[in-house]
Amino acid sequence: MPINFPLPESLRKAGWKVKIREKETLEPPHITILHGTKAWRIKLRTGEFMDKQPDPDDVPEEITAFIPKQSNWRSFQEKWDEKYPMNPVQDKDADEAE
Amino acid sequence: MTVKTKPPIAARLVFLLDKAKKRPAEFSLLGPQVVSSIAGLRDSVAMATKDTLWVSYEKDLTAALLKMVCGPPRSLGMAVFVHALSLQSVAGLASCFKRFAFASDHGFLPPDELAEALEAKNAADLFIGGSVDLSSETITLWRGCLTPLTVPFSAFEKSGDGTEPDFARFSVTDFGQTVRLGHYEAAADAILYEFDPDYRRRISRARQQSERSFGASLRRLRKQRGLRREDFEPEIAGKTIARIEQGIVQQVHKKTLAAIARRLRVTPEEIGSY
Repeated sequence: MPINFPLPESLRKAGWKVKIREKETLEPPHITILHGTKAWRIKLRTGEFMDKQPDPDDVPEEITAFIPKQSNWRSFQEKWDEKYPMNPVQDKDADEAE
Repeated sequence: MTVKTKPPIAARLVFLLDKAKKRPAEFSLLGPQVVSSIAGLRDSVAMATKDTLWVSYEKDLTAALLKMVCGPPRSLGMAVFVHALSLQSVAGLASCFKRFAFASDHGFLPPDELAEALEAKNAADLFIGGSVDLSSETITLWRGCLTPLTVPFSAFEKSGDGTEPDFARFSVTDFGQTVRLGHYEAAADAILYEFDPDYRRRISRARQQSERSFGASLRRLRKQRGLRREDFEPEIAGKTIARIEQGIVQQVHKKTLAAIARRLRVTPEEIGSY
């Protein structure tokens, strides 16, 4: 099952979703924020947006505030590791390469 | 496969072949002219140009359209047939549409999402629909620019938490950003990244210079394949892979490169495009 993170109702009704799917471009570990035909990816190792486009400023503050909350963040990382044990968030290889 | 940019479809003439009352409202984004009769169809054919977009939910109207335009080849534009087509119809339609997509009703996005995906700037990077071929074990996905991409079942590996794809329960969702196979969801960008070299090159260009080195590409591809550095042994030591990925080894020996490529199931030239 894909991981659908619970968002406040107002955001859900407006069509916002935060997911980790079964098949993702694997490197680096990330979560995906989806809205309509647009998607934003956030690195699970650093919390940064992965791409310059679409504009990260288009993501509502309520979502960017929700994501880094410590409990949520840990939950995102754990869920990624469950789905992709071969490419964990805390990766020895990544420490060497990044 | 080359994906050309195109003007927004909303600026084009759009015909919606449909008898359902509610659906036209869901296509309002495209400003379609609704065609529900043979007479209306005749007028539409007369107005159509090579840039027209047709969306048909009605098998009967599609058949009538084909009958109406048979004869010398002409361009009616592009089309989405949201119903099954016979092989004979496919051949006929190919002579009058420069591109068209088709699948049974449940093989496409819901109407409102379909309209938005067709109109999106990134339409070529979205999957508006598709169909599963159990005999060849492939899925053909239609992009928003109406070009197909066929991928093997093997692209959808079991997830680490045990979720497996159910190919009998195919659908597209999230406005074309996700392919759903039962409880299994695959990101459209991950599929394109793996199977469309042009898409991969475009994405790679957008990355930082430091992330575009051969070593970084090798590392991304290795992770994509779910391999550890040690998985290249005994042919190549894990330490050697690490040194290449970190840029310590700049010139990789031809034989080493060939062995790496073999293990990754690509050609040596392809590694740098990841």
